[in-house]
Amino acid sequence: MQRIQVSLKVNGKKYRLETPPNRTLLEVLREDLGLTGAKDGCSSGECGACTVLLDGRAVNSCLVLIGSADGHSIETVEGLQKAGMPHPLQKAFVEKGAVQCGFCTPGMLMAAKALLDQNPKPDEEQIRTALAGNLCRCTGYTKIIDAVQEAAKELRYE
Amino acid sequence: MSTYQFVGKSIERVDALEKVLGTAKYVGDYYLPGMLYARALRSEVPHARIVELDVSPALQVPGVKAVITCDDFVDHGNFGFPVKDQYVLAYQKVRYVGEAIAAVAAETEEAALEGIKAIHLVLEPLPGLFDIDHALDPNAPQVGPDRADGKHPNFLDMSPVYKGNVDEVLKQCDVVLDLKYTTPHQEHAYIETEGALAIPTPEGGVVVYVSCQSPFIDKGILQMVLGLDPARVRTIIPPVGGSFGGKDDLNYYTSAQVAALALKTGKPVRMTFSREESMIASYKRDAAHMHIQLGASHDGVLRACRAKHTFDSGAYASQTPFTAWRGSIHAMGAYRYDACEVEITSVYSNNGFSGAFRGFGNTEACFAIEQAIDEMADALGMDPIDFRLKNCLRLGDETPHGQILTQSVGLTECLQIVRKASDWDRKRTEYSRQAAGDIRRGIGVAALFHGTSLGAEGIDSATSTIEIENDHTIVLTSGLTDYGPGSRTVYTIIAAEELGVNMKRIIMLRPDTNTAIDSGPTVASRSTMVGGNAVRNAARNLAQTINLAASDLLKCSVDQLYRVGEDFVGPSEEVVRWDAVVDHARDMGLVLSTYGKWVAPKIDWDHHGGRGTPYFAYHFAAHVAEVEVDVRIGKTQVLNYWAAHDSGTVIFPEGAYGQVYGGVAQGIGYALLEEALYADGYLQSVNFDTYLIPTSMDVPEIKATFVQTYFSEGPYGAKNIAEPAMVPAAPAVLNAIAHAIGRRIRDLPADLEKVVLGEALRKKGSPVSCKIGLKTK
Ligand code: FES
Ligand code: FES
Repeated sequence: MQRIQVSLKVNGKKYRLETPPNRTLLEVLREDLGLTGAKDGCSSGECGACTVLLDGRAVNSCLVLIGSADGHSIETVEGLQKAGMPHPLQKAFVEKGAVQCGFCTPGMLMAAKALLDQNPKPDEEQIRTALAGNLCRCTGYTKIIDAVQEAAKELRYE
Repeated sequence: MSTYQFVGKSIERVDALEKVLGTAKYVGDYYLPGMLYARALRSEVPHARIVELDVSPALQVPGVKAVITCDDFVDHGNFGFPVKDQYVLAYQKVRYVGEAIAAVAAETEEAALEGIKAIHLVLEPLPGLFDIDHALDPNAPQVGPDRADGKHPNFLDMSPVYKGNVDEVLKQCDVVLDLKYTTPHQEHAYIETEGALAIPTPEGGVVVYVSCQSPFIDKGILQMVLGLDPARVRTIIPPVGGSFGGKDDLNYYTSAQVAALALKTGKPVRMTFSREESMIASYKRDAAHMHIQLGASHDGVLRACRAKHTFDSGAYASQTPFTAWRGSIHAMGAYRYDACEVEITSVYSNNGFSGAFRGFGNTEACFAIEQAIDEMADALGMDPIDFRLKNCLRLGDETPHGQILTQSVGLTECLQIVRKASDWDRKRTEYSRQAAGDIRRGIGVAALFHGTSLGAEGIDSATSTIEIENDHTIVLTSGLTDYGPGSRTVYTIIAAEELGVNMKRIIMLRPDTNTAIDSGPTVASRSTMVGGNAVRNAARNLAQTINLAASDLLKCSVDQLYRVGEDFVGPSEEVVRWDAVVDHARDMGLVLSTYGKWVAPKIDWDHHGGRGTPYFAYHFAAHVAEVEVDVRIGKTQVLNYWAAHDSGTVIFPEGAYGQVYGGVAQGIGYALLEEALYADGYLQSVNFDTYLIPTSMDVPEIKATFVQTYFSEGPYGAKNIAEPAMVPAAPAVLNAIAHAIGRRIRDLPADLEKVVLGEALRKKGSPVSCKIGLKTK
């Protein structure tokens, strides 16, 4: 198969790579860039475990063909912490007990980040709606919603 | 209780940080140099004889490095407990759609997939058995193994409980109900699919990383089917992305497959399931057909219960004999009866295969009995909570099994708590009187008892090791796996409590068969009690040594020592630090590594007579659900939810609450959405687009309360929580729906069709999604 040239900015770092065009952004992140934070839970846009930000928007990276990410800026869970300090969302997830098995967590965090970037003061309903595409089988969502609220507060203080 | 430093306090999970940073490495996150990708060829028919199987064409596919079949294993890879009826790869026959027949290792996932497509396979289809009500017909297709005792080969087991003469007592009852309920198969739907990675060692052995529950069972099976001695097999459990009972057998034979491929190629080999493969190949919660007869007198006294259930074990026994047994013990609910007769029969079929799933038979049984109890309360004109309070098990009562409950029975408190918290009496009256309309509200309750740990299923013990390192940190192990609920945090709390050190000083290792000691299976919500007691004993053994060193250093007796934080203080107020005490212990030549073991009290159950002491303690709970039903479209929304659990002392509150929230969410899914439907043996939902689990829009805020009755055998008085959290949710929701719409739905799930039409629409099943799902990436 012919290969294509792609340039990506991932967590602020520029990458140029060559890849067959039939691969997804999720595969490239995990296999080529070693960023295994985003998970594959369904490969079909149903579970949200692969959620990353593409130009600030939350997307299911399992559905993004690598060609369409060319020239765009990507943010993954690995890019959330700044200078070794966990992001307020990460802190709140730990403190509020929003993590159990942790497999949905990176996707949840990125979906929540996209929400808070756009809406710094979401109410519970808005949080539930923003996370509706991210399945969690362990937590019943209660603590995840608490954590997002907590992080929103913290971010407003910052 | 307030005297504890860590137990019951607000504490963060020990593994939360790596999970939020995205650095926790699950099996699928390993990309090792030279690693090969494995894929299994899986059956596309539910029941067939393997007539021809030639794997050599796969080896011609570019990139394919090895192919294996059952012939690559000792005794064709035969394994299984309690019934040895499974194979690592199919031998002579396939019995369900998704059963693995051969496995390929290749340089890329694509090549592995091409490899399995190239395999030459001829299957001769056999008649399938899909209707469990006819599994024991004389001419039913044979799915189960041949048996020598003259019983039907499709018969797996029958678990009874007997007390008195049910027919006699029913004759004396004023009200007798005869009711039938069904529950479907349920998919675990852990968000991480199955996976295993095997790395060959220079000595001819393997190290296996596998997303599974019980490391020592995995190791034992690998030794057996690969013919390796114990020193050559090591199983390590990385973080597990959810399990709920679902990461047992299938993951053991997946590890055997990758291990064999790794030994054959000399390279690391990883297999990670696609979601479709996971859903099609994995075992489910048993589907159940349940029949209950219940008798009571006018004054509201429950008198007799007969429960005759059939559980669908599917193609293999897996854990179903134990599931059905646990189901039988709980099938009459947490009530007193004059007579009781429970018989749960499990049978083979070609509907996938069934195994362990949170609640383990009680989830199914509780659904039936807790609706029946509600129906009886209705028939008697009694309030459902009053009726339960009048008949439920209390301290000092004798259970229908013949066991006297001598401690830790908090059911009445649980019922009273949810009654008050939910404003039950007002809402029950108000909703009972609501005017006819399309949007209707209802409130429902369900009660629960759930035996702790394994009970009569097996020998129940655990061992932990503990050791102080040169840098004064403490390394702790357990042979039990934390696949999400938080047992590693519980163990860290216990060790810190016993040793009086900061939790940060303790490194709680993940399970590794080279460092930990066999502690039986990680099932039955036994980690806190059985595993926790082992940790406590280990830490106490170590504390003895440390205290000896401290008293020597401070020139006093051990009982003159006291602690301020980590420091040791002697009678003359002289303070020495933990590090100094540890160094002194070493100078004294004391051994700073030890272990602790805990063996559960003996229990005694007569499996044929159906009498005895099935468990040494029970968890009790009560749930209340408040729902709104739109009767035009059949949609039920759970508006509010209350759960009260008598789990004994709560050691790790955040973990315990998390179990309740997550358990209730799974129960709501079971109640309203989830059905892993097999049509002629073909699973109809193979990904999350059609197998719906609750999202953040479906689960309400859940208000949980813990009734902490002290249990003398548990660590600090703890019992358990993980499974019981889910069990009463479905009947609570269904009882609320019945209250709202004035009609019973006795078959799960209560989806749109059942609410509107009272029955499921008959859809024609199709094999297509299974066939496509097994052959795509
Ligand atoms: S893996 Fe992308 S949505 Fe599930
Ligand atoms: S924490 Fe396990 S899936 Fe969300």
